[in-house]
This record gives sequence, structure tokens and C-alpha cells, in this order.
Amino acid sequence: MDEEAIVCRGVSRRFGTRWAISGLDLSVPRGHVFGFLGPNGAGKTTMVRMLIGMLRPTTGSVRVLGRDPVAQGDEVRALCGVMLDNVGLYERLSAYQNLLFAARVARLSPKEQRQRVDEALRRVDLWERRYDRVSGFSKGMRQKLGLARALIHDPELLILDEPTAGLDPANIVRVRELLVSLAEESGRTIFLSTHLLDEAQRVCDRVAIIQQGRLLVVGEPNKLGTEGIPTVRLTLTGMEGGEEKALALPEGIELAPLGGREWRARMRDLADTESLVKALVHAGIGVRAVIPEAVSLEEEYLRLVGGNNP
Amino acid sequence: MNDVRAMVWKEVAELLGSRRFLWVFMAAVLGMGVLPALSFARQGERAIAVVGVLFLVLYVLFAAVIVVANTAPDLVLHERVGHTLEYLLTTPLSVRAIFGAKIAVAAFVGYVASMLSLGVQLVAVAMLSGKGLHWLFLAQADGRVIAFGVTAGLSLYVAVVGTFVALRIGEQRAAYMVTVFSVGLLIVPFIAGWLHLHLTVNWVSHAALWLGVIAVGLAALGLRIFQREMLVLYLQE
Repeated sequence: MDEEAIVCRGVSRRFGTRWAISGLDLSVPRGHVFGFLGPNGAGKTTMVRMLIGMLRPTTGSVRVLGRDPVAQGDEVRALCGVMLDNVGLYERLSAYQNLLFAARVARLSPKEQRQRVDEALRRVDLWERRYDRVSGFSKGMRQKLGLARALIHDPELLILDEPTAGLDPANIVRVRELLVSLAEESGRTIFLSTHLLDEAQRVCDRVAIIQQGRLLVVGEPNKLGTEGIPTVRLTLTGMEGGEEKALALPEGIELAPLGGREWRARMRDLADTESLVKALVHAGIGVRAVIPEAVSLEEEYLRLVGGNNP
Repeated sequence: MNDVRAMVWKEVAELLGSRRFLWVFMAAVLGMGVLPALSFARQGERAIAVVGVLFLVLYVLFAAVIVVANTAPDLVLHERVGHTLEYLLTTPLSVRAIFGAKIAVAAFVGYVASMLSLGVQLVAVAMLSGKGLHWLFLAQADGRVIAFGVTAGLSLYVAVVGTFVALRIGEQRAAYMVTVFSVGLLIVPFIAGWLHLHLTVNWVSHAALWLGVIAVGLAALGLRIFQREMLVLYLQE
């Protein structure tokens, strides 16, 4: 069995003259919760569609659970549970009928169908509303039902595209709790496409950030900042915002104001801290404190894509 | 086959939950059943005999066309609007199973509607003429072939056209109009003089058979054109 649930090598996808995904290399280990982050229009949904063989890559190759989604699309789709950004539930059918249909499509035996549907409805707290038509459901209930549907056949790989999009804060918490409980179940790989950084930070053990179809960075969400770009927080006196541009800082060091006397410096190596402090002192600036810091995923994300968000 | 069964189950459950479908179905069955009977009663048996009792079988065909031309596009458009077609494409279901089931269900409900309207016709004519059960065109062999055979072929043809038209035209009324127009196209060879209508059992049997062949041919062509990726691209538009 492959160690990797998903392997993409040089994957690109073009629509007309526009490249939605460009030269993407990605590996998602089995049993991990992998966050696929990017602003709207970054190519996340296109990537999800390629993973399950709905779209062919223009160039490059994709392997999902050791299979080629283009040549073995049916097998890949049978092994994956998918929830797209538009959940797509049958409004004229009840919650029970929606799940029963999904169980039939997943080719479960009649006994398994009933058993799994009952379990899924209880798990997402929709048991009491099981015979109600979906047309009367709130957005939160629909998302939970969509999640239950994606899980109905106990898939090896769960692919979720913006599972909390459009939800109110209370429902975001509920759906997120569900995701956390799913993540704790051993063996299942979750590929979570989202633009909600808080969600990724809470749920994922690895994240990739893409923008305009290009992969910017991959790593653990809590270490992206410190591992990718070493950062220190400084307390300085005798310097106003804007003056940092006139400073002769060592090469590869960026200094940015955080407000008041607080500043943040990014550098290629934490060892550069010493030369930074020397340069600041040499410029007549008082250095009161220097603290190596872990940059939050949100800060890292905004640094990477914030200024160029289309 | 299990995939098609699952799809058929879902389509039937959805249709039974659609008030619009139930209205169209009832209206077609009652309208196409009662209208010819009223005409029969007003003009009398002699007038009907002059026009030809086979004229009345057209109402049975109309019932099928009305129901199928509404149902087939609706089965697809409903999925497009509700984003459920995209969900179906994420499942192991083949495109053939998805649309094959839709075509089969649309054709079947159209055929059932036409048979029910035929039943309503017989009962209504019997009641209005006061002569017990009146068999109308069913007394003639060519009438029976048209009522049962041509209706089946026409239902299948309209279901195929309506299903694939709805994949390209995203609006219910427009899809309905184009589907009905496709039925009108069947008259062109007669108007152009390429074909001549002969109300013989042999001729109408062949007509029913050819309608079925054309429908199956169009369905095969449609399934060849509308691959999974093309459907995704249409949904993206």
C-alpha cells in the first residue's frame, strides 16, 4: 500500500488561455488531515475536481490512493467521500432519502444501507429530522447532512471543499467539531480545501498554501512561519514607522512595524539576528527586547497571498 | 444495473415530491382524455367517422409529448440548479447510468400518462355516448399500433431530446420549447414530400420502430458527447 494518499507531480490545468493550476507538486501522507489553503479563485476547486477525476490535468500526473483518477476514475470515486462547496442535496427528498440514495450509489448491501444511514443521521444530530424534506433545512443542517453523505461508505479519503462556507459562527463551530472528531478517527485521510485559516490551524496537521494556481508553501500550520521564514519580534526605541526603509539592514532581513514600539523582522536564518541588532544599534536605535516568535498561520498566509489576492 | 436502479429510485421519489410534475401529469391525463370525448359527444359519431376515428389517437400522443417534454428537461435542470448533478459526478455512477435512468423515467411516465389518458378517453366517450364502453381507435389494428407502439417510440424520442437539450439550455421554458420543437421536426419529411403517411398496420409499425431506433441512436450520440469532464465544464459556465 502506498504511503501517500495523494501524489501530484507537475500538475497543471488550463481553461482556455488561463492556467487554473500551474506546475503543482504535492504529497499528502495517509492518515493526515491536510489543509489546502488559498484565496477565492486560487484553483482549489479545480484541484479537488482533478483529484476525483472530474477534470483531467492538462499536464502532469495525479495519483489518489495509488490510482490514476483519469484512467481509474470510478475506483477513485468509490474510495473517496466528497463534499463540494455547493453541497448539492435533493431538496424534494427527506434527509433519510438523501442518505439512502448515497448508500445505494456507494453499492452497499441493503442491510448496510439502513445501518449506515441510521448511524450517519445520529452522528450529525439529524435523527429527529430524518423524515423532513431537505428544502426546510437550515444551511448548517445541510452542511452536516452533506458531511454525513460523504461519510456514508466509510471512505479512505475524505475530500471537503469549503465545508463551513456560508455558515454562521455557531454552525461553523459545530461542523468544525465534526471535522475534529473525524480527524481523530485513525486511518482516514482528510483533504480539506478552505480559505478559513483558523479552521485549517485547528483541524489540519499539514497545510499547503496556493495562489493563482501555484503552490507557495507546504508545512505544519503552527510551524510554517518559524520553519519557513525565521522571525523575531523586537521592541525598539528611537524609531518611527517608515524609517525602517532608510536603514541599512543586512541582506535578506525585512523589518515591519507592528504598532507602538513593536517590530517584526523576517530573515533567512535566526543567526542573522545578531547582525540585525548590530545594524540597529549602529543606526542609533535602542533595542529593548528580541524574542524569536512563531508566526500564526494567518499572518503567514496574509504575508504570502495578502497583497496579491485577486 | 444496480446504479441505474438506484438512479431510477431517486428520480421517481423526486417526481412524486414535485407538485409541478403532478399538476402537469394530471392536466395532461385529464385534458387529453376528456377533450376528445367532448368533441366526440358534440359532433356525434357520424362526424367523427368522417374525420377519422384515428384523429382521436393524436390526443394520446399529445399526452405523452406534454408530460415527457416537461419531465425530461426538469429532471436535468433540477439537478443543475440544485448542484446535485455535480454531486452525482463525484460518485462512482457512470454518466450512462445517470442519464440512462433519467431518459427511462421520463419516457416511462410519459407513456403511463398517455395510457391513462387513453383510459379516460374510453370511459368519457362511453359515458357521453351512453352506449357502454366505446373502443374508439382501439378497434382498429393500426389504431392499436399507434396508441401503444408509436406512443412508446415518441415518448423515448422526446425523453432523449429533452434530457440532452436541458444539459445545454439552462432554462425550463426554453428547454421545453426546444424539446417540443424537436417533435415538430418529425413532420418535416412529410411536408417536404420525402415520406408519405400510410395508415396501415405495416407502415405505423415501422414508424414506431424507427422512432425507437432514432431515439436510441440520439441517446448513444448524446452519451458519447456528454462525458464527465464536459459536463463539469458546462456546470462551470
